[in-house]
Amino acid sequence: MLQITNLSKTYPNGVKALQDVSLTISNGMFGLLGPNGAGKSTLMRTIATLQDADSGTIMFGDINVSKQKQELRKVLGYLPQEFGVYPRVSAEEMLHYIARLKGVANDKERKELVQALLEQVNLYNHRKKSLSGYSGGMKQRFGIAQALIGSPKLIIVDEPTAGLDPAERLRFNNLLSEIGENIVIILSTHIVEDVSELCRDMAIIAGGKVVQRGNPEDLVNALENRIWSKRVKKDEVAQYQANYKMVLAKLSAGSMKVFIDSETDPGNDFKRERATLEDVYFSNIF
Amino acid sequence: MFGSIFAFELHRLAASVSTYIYFFILFAVTFFVAVLVGGAFPDVNINFGGEKIYANAPVIIDAIFSNLDFYIGTILMVAIIGTAVLKDFRSNTYSMIFTTPVSKFDYLFGRFSACLLVTLIILSAPAFGLMAGYATPWVNSSRIEAFMLLPYIHTYWQTIVPNTILFGSIYFSVSLISRDIFVIWLSLLIIFVVLSVSNAIFNSLDFRTMAALIDPRGNMAKSTLGRYWSTDQKNHLHYTLTGLFLLNRIIWLGISCIVWIIGYSYFSFTSAPRRLFLKTPKTAETPKMTFIPSFFRKSELPPVSQSFDTASHLRILFGLAVNECKTILRNTYFRIILLFGMLFLFLVSSQIGKIYDTTVFPVTYQVVEYFDGVFQLLLTILTIMFTGEIVWRGRDNRMDNILDALPVPNWVFYVSKLAGIFFMQVILLSLIMVCGVAVQLYKGYTHIEPLLYIQYLFGFKLIDIWLLAILAMFVQSLVTNKYLGYFIVALFYFWNGTFAMLVLKNSLFVFSSDPGVVYSDMNHFGHTVFPYFIYKLYWSAFALVLAALSSLFWARGTAKTFKLRLADARNKANARSWAIVTIGLLVFIGSGGFIYFNTNVQNKFMTEFQQEELQAKFEKTYKKFRNAPQPKITDVALNVDLFPNERGLHASGTFVLQNKSKGPIDSVHVLMPDGIKVRELKFSRSSQLMSNDTQYSYRIYKLAQPLQPGDTTVLSFTVDMVSKGFKQSFTGLSTPIYNGTFVNNESFLPSIGYDRNYEISDNNHRKKHGLGYRRTSNPINDTASYQRSLFTRDADFITFDATVSTVADQTAIAPGYLVKDWMDNGRHYFHYKMDNKILNFYSFLSARYTVKKEVFNNVNLEIYYNKGHEYNLNRMFNSMKKSLTYYTAHFSPYQHKQVRILEFPRYATFAQSFPNTIPTSEGIGFIANVDDSSKENVDYPFYVTAHEVAHQWFAHQVIGADVEGSNMMSETFAQYGAIMVMEKEYGEDRIRKFLHIEMDGYLRDRSNDAEKEKPLALVDNSQQYIFYQKGGIVMHALNKYLGEDSVNHALKNFIEQYALKGAPYPTTMDFLATLRRSTPDSLQYLITDAFERITLYDNKITVAKSRKEGEKYFVEATIESHKIVSDSTGKETVVPSDDYIEIGVYKDRKSSPQITRYKLKGGETKLSIPTNDKPYKVIIDPRLLLIDKKLDDNEMKLEDETKTAKK
Repeated sequence: MLQITNLSKTYPNGVKALQDVSLTISNGMFGLLGPNGAGKSTLMRTIATLQDADSGTIMFGDINVSKQKQELRKVLGYLPQEFGVYPRVSAEEMLHYIARLKGVANDKERKELVQALLEQVNLYNHRKKSLSGYSGGMKQRFGIAQALIGSPKLIIVDEPTAGLDPAERLRFNNLLSEIGENIVIILSTHIVEDVSELCRDMAIIAGGKVVQRGNPEDLVNALENRIWSKRVKKDEVAQYQANYKMVLAKLSAGSMKVFIDSETDPGNDFKRERATLEDVYFSNIF
Repeated sequence: MFGSIFAFELHRLAASVSTYIYFFILFAVTFFVAVLVGGAFPDVNINFGGEKIYANAPVIIDAIFSNLDFYIGTILMVAIIGTAVLKDFRSNTYSMIFTTPVSKFDYLFGRFSACLLVTLIILSAPAFGLMAGYATPWVNSSRIEAFMLLPYIHTYWQTIVPNTILFGSIYFSVSLISRDIFVIWLSLLIIFVVLSVSNAIFNSLDFRTMAALIDPRGNMAKSTLGRYWSTDQKNHLHYTLTGLFLLNRIIWLGISCIVWIIGYSYFSFTSAPRRLFLKTPKTAETPKMTFIPSFFRKSELPPVSQSFDTASHLRILFGLAVNECKTILRNTYFRIILLFGMLFLFLVSSQIGKIYDTTVFPVTYQVVEYFDGVFQLLLTILTIMFTGEIVWRGRDNRMDNILDALPVPNWVFYVSKLAGIFFMQVILLSLIMVCGVAVQLYKGYTHIEPLLYIQYLFGFKLIDIWLLAILAMFVQSLVTNKYLGYFIVALFYFWNGTFAMLVLKNSLFVFSSDPGVVYSDMNHFGHTVFPYFIYKLYWSAFALVLAALSSLFWARGTAKTFKLRLADARNKANARSWAIVTIGLLVFIGSGGFIYFNTNVQNKFMTEFQQEELQAKFEKTYKKFRNAPQPKITDVALNVDLFPNERGLHASGTFVLQNKSKGPIDSVHVLMPDGIKVRELKFSRSSQLMSNDTQYSYRIYKLAQPLQPGDTTVLSFTVDMVSKGFKQSFTGLSTPIYNGTFVNNESFLPSIGYDRNYEISDNNHRKKHGLGYRRTSNPINDTASYQRSLFTRDADFITFDATVSTVADQTAIAPGYLVKDWMDNGRHYFHYKMDNKILNFYSFLSARYTVKKEVFNNVNLEIYYNKGHEYNLNRMFNSMKKSLTYYTAHFSPYQHKQVRILEFPRYATFAQSFPNTIPTSEGIGFIANVDDSSKENVDYPFYVTAHEVAHQWFAHQVIGADVEGSNMMSETFAQYGAIMVMEKEYGEDRIRKFLHIEMDGYLRDRSNDAEKEKPLALVDNSQQYIFYQKGGIVMHALNKYLGEDSVNHALKNFIEQYALKGAPYPTTMDFLATLRRSTPDSLQYLITDAFERITLYDNKITVAKSRKEGEKYFVEATIESHKIVSDSTGKETVVPSDDYIEIGVYKDRKSSPQITRYKLKGGETKLSIPTNDKPYKVIIDPRLLLIDKKLDDNEMKLEDETKTAKK
């Protein structure tokens, strides 16, 4: 169980990346949803021992993350939001290298593990290829493979699907969904579908604060019967924004469609919509 | 477009903190250098090129400014200009820029010019640093002349700007072609290596013009301009853009443009660089893009065991280290560097051990020392550069996000990377060994000593570069910018190698210091090993602390403030690292204490300043006794026990002292050399110790009954010389050593009366210690000084008897003839007795010698040498024979029945003549490899022997009084004798090379003289370049002008009159009177020019053509001749002349010239010289009789007039 208590971080340029964040995350896939710049990565990196918070604590089981970095690293699998690769090094070599660093000292075991991982993430045919020549999806699959080395108890995947094509995204999420139930997996993303597809617990973070948290279904249920939509002209959007509690306005088949949150029927040609997690997301971040 | 790119780039650089840091550091460093050179600290004595050169003389400004900007500035060029375009690839901005409509030229030139401009601005910092430094009130005003702006501007525009354009263009073009920072470093290395190769190869006399043109920095061109400048000129002239320098600048600016254009045309707006070598890439099949849902089953992953204990960390470490080493070996650039290094070593191998442009046999120590020396720069740069790259590799490749979160402790990362660097260094040192052996075999030399290679390279040198690697790693793990790291390491290295010792005054504060280690075939590494390793232990402990700290502060995760890193480092989990820090500190302090105990407690350590302060006090206290009449030593009997293994000696003996003055003497002043323990000292008549100054070991005894004129008394003494511990600086021959002891009487026996040699001789230094001006030598008309000879103040000629003992397997030698040798109590005793009187100047040697003997005209010739050094024994024997023949025939009979040459270790490189005994360093002839087929080779084993044998006449038969000019009568005459013997043996053509080297040496050193240059006949003790170099040249010239007989006759008469006579001693005035008597009036001017004033010539041929008339040829030449007289300040005046000057005509390249002597008036003369053969070349003064500052315009190849007319 991961226990985050009153975590705050302010960057030297004044940006308050985390403001008094407290979260308790238990086993299973936890979705951390938030817009770009919300503080997700800061939180992820802080949990992953790469950064220090100004105040607050993170406990993973008995491990105090900021004080026992080395202990946490032993049980951590981390797929960073962005990572580079050494030139002229193949996926297989790199996995071996990382496996070694993760304490897999037995050559035979390591070899089997690397081979199994390569097969499981569907990179076996490309194992000799230099990582620098991988496509975005292949690189992310490599990324999850390296994170899984050494049966981690805490896995952090930071925006893994950003920039992937729909097929790769599906494939990647399939991978993620199978990773297991008995460990803590934190998936940070700004893509609502990722969370709705994968997570049973989630938090929405915006402006460095946790603004919503709970089970995705519960959160959607809470909005059930409250979302109304209407097609409007572009120049009318502002007017609607002023008059209603607008969740979002988006393009739909070439014209604008506004979504509002209202417990009662707002009338005015609004139609009832099924609530989605996207509505939860948008109603929380603005 | 250009404008906006330029402006954007400028703005970017202006907003970068590092720009200001670079500027500030350069400013601060030069400010500091200026203050130091300006003499702000009286006890830190730094000057470049002599005390009389002002600290802010244009040449000094140029040297500091341009060298600092070259060595340190080069990093800036790489960091700023080299990455001007590269950074777009690293930060992926290239895709945005390349797709804008910006033109290639605007983009590249905009970037380049903005970066160049910023670099140039930063590189101007030294000018401001120097100006500010010189302007501070702390500098010594006598070292500084009035401020001149022009030298700074000249250096900046003539050197800094063109060089920055050149090297900037190179790095820029390389970055465009390769898009790889490694290749830029590689090009930097290649530049450094090529520079040192060309310096090594073209540094000889014959290649000066070539060297001036091909040196891209322009340094060689500048040095040709200023090579023979007088002090005055150095203080006021700056290098002007003329001649070779101008040509050099034009050539290299042109090359800069070409380099730039090549890079420019190669570059294209594509994401991948063009391939350098056309290779069709294998076409790979594109994988099918079908959607396969993956079925990931975590349960199917095989279970693995993980372990995180120390043992497994060590295993990981090993794996990582192997990986790092493999990475380095796989690195293409590293392989290129290896190949290049090999090529470099082979190229410079022709220069190994050259003396007089003549090589030595490639014995292992010469090869390994030379290769290690020339490889030093390469090793240093590679270490600094690879350290930076290896530390930053994760971050540079953005792998740090993954790696830093892995469960690996910092020290594993740190040590694995360090191991990679260590491994790389081992490879490079192995390369030296492999190339060394290859070169030895290639030269046909088969006595290879692999163990010596290993000891030298992996025993001694490896420690130094490992220490450097740890230091560089420490810096890189702390800084937040790789280039800043490079810059700091380079600066520290520079500081440590130049000023650290001078400023901090104790080698305990100079990183990686040691007292030095020298290999000698005789003494091997000898006594230098222990102190060396103690020092290295001290520094290794320091390095251990740095290493532990580097690992504690290892940058992990997002760039952190120092405070956060400190918090991490303080973590409990790091207790072990802190324990290592503690242990390291303890060993560091402990070994430091041990060193201090050895160097400063057991031995005296003094800085130069403290030493001088002591000398000054000595002079102030005792100078009043300088004319107190003292008895002179007449008979010496000694028992000297040498203890090579303990590096000590025990001596007892008696001096018979006689009052040779006209009045009674009631007190005797006895001086002991520094560090000698006196066990007993007493007179045969009753005396009282009146004063015993232990600081100077200056004793004054009052005799109960004064010594009447002619009376004698016997001084008997027992003394010990004990070596305790070790000293800060290398001690070579000052004490007995394991094998190859060479000590003389001045180092351990008492002497009588005030010794002027203890005084500070340098007048600038005297001023600092409150002493007045002092003439280096006594004036020639100081008749009181005629009572003392130049060498020994306390004796005239003495009788000598010595018993020397040493360890059983060594031979001990002293002057005289061996009466008896015997073994007693496991020691070997030798009794030597001299049959006739000698100077009070003798030496004791002991070593495991092999002896070779010959007899020549009843003289026993013997060479005592180290087994293995047989190469040149025959040359030395031959020289002894030819010398004895010539000197006996022309000067006087040889006073002894024996000549012995004795080899001593190469801790010093000289030979010295004692009575019938000539100790000769193993470094000055024993391993020379003279090529007799080459006119360019000097048989220096022959020459050195001839010179030293001549001293048996000049010095040991006739010696001058203790006044100025007297060195001429020992060194100049010995030099003359040697030149004549050489000329007889090898002919005029082959000594031309020797004379040329000597002339160059004279002209160079006279421009560096800290005091006034004096005419030969008044030469000071310190002016070696006059009494050796100039002396030999002018005596040889007189021999040609006056005739061999006249000169030798004068010498013969002079010897006859003064040999072995004792006081009063002759002066050069006596010799010149003798010489003038045998010189016709028409040639008297030659004696004036040679001895009594400083005469130079500026001769040249302006036009020369040949003409055929019937069977005869005529050379029509226009000769310009100017005779120049220089005053003591170096001011030169052309004087009217009407002198004999020889003109030579060569008929081809090889044969000797036809020489005709003309009487030429100053100015221009047209000559028509008849010759029988078709002339090839005409030359003024082919035998180098006249000293001419510029020799290359003295000759001209001939064009055939008739042929030219036809064309």
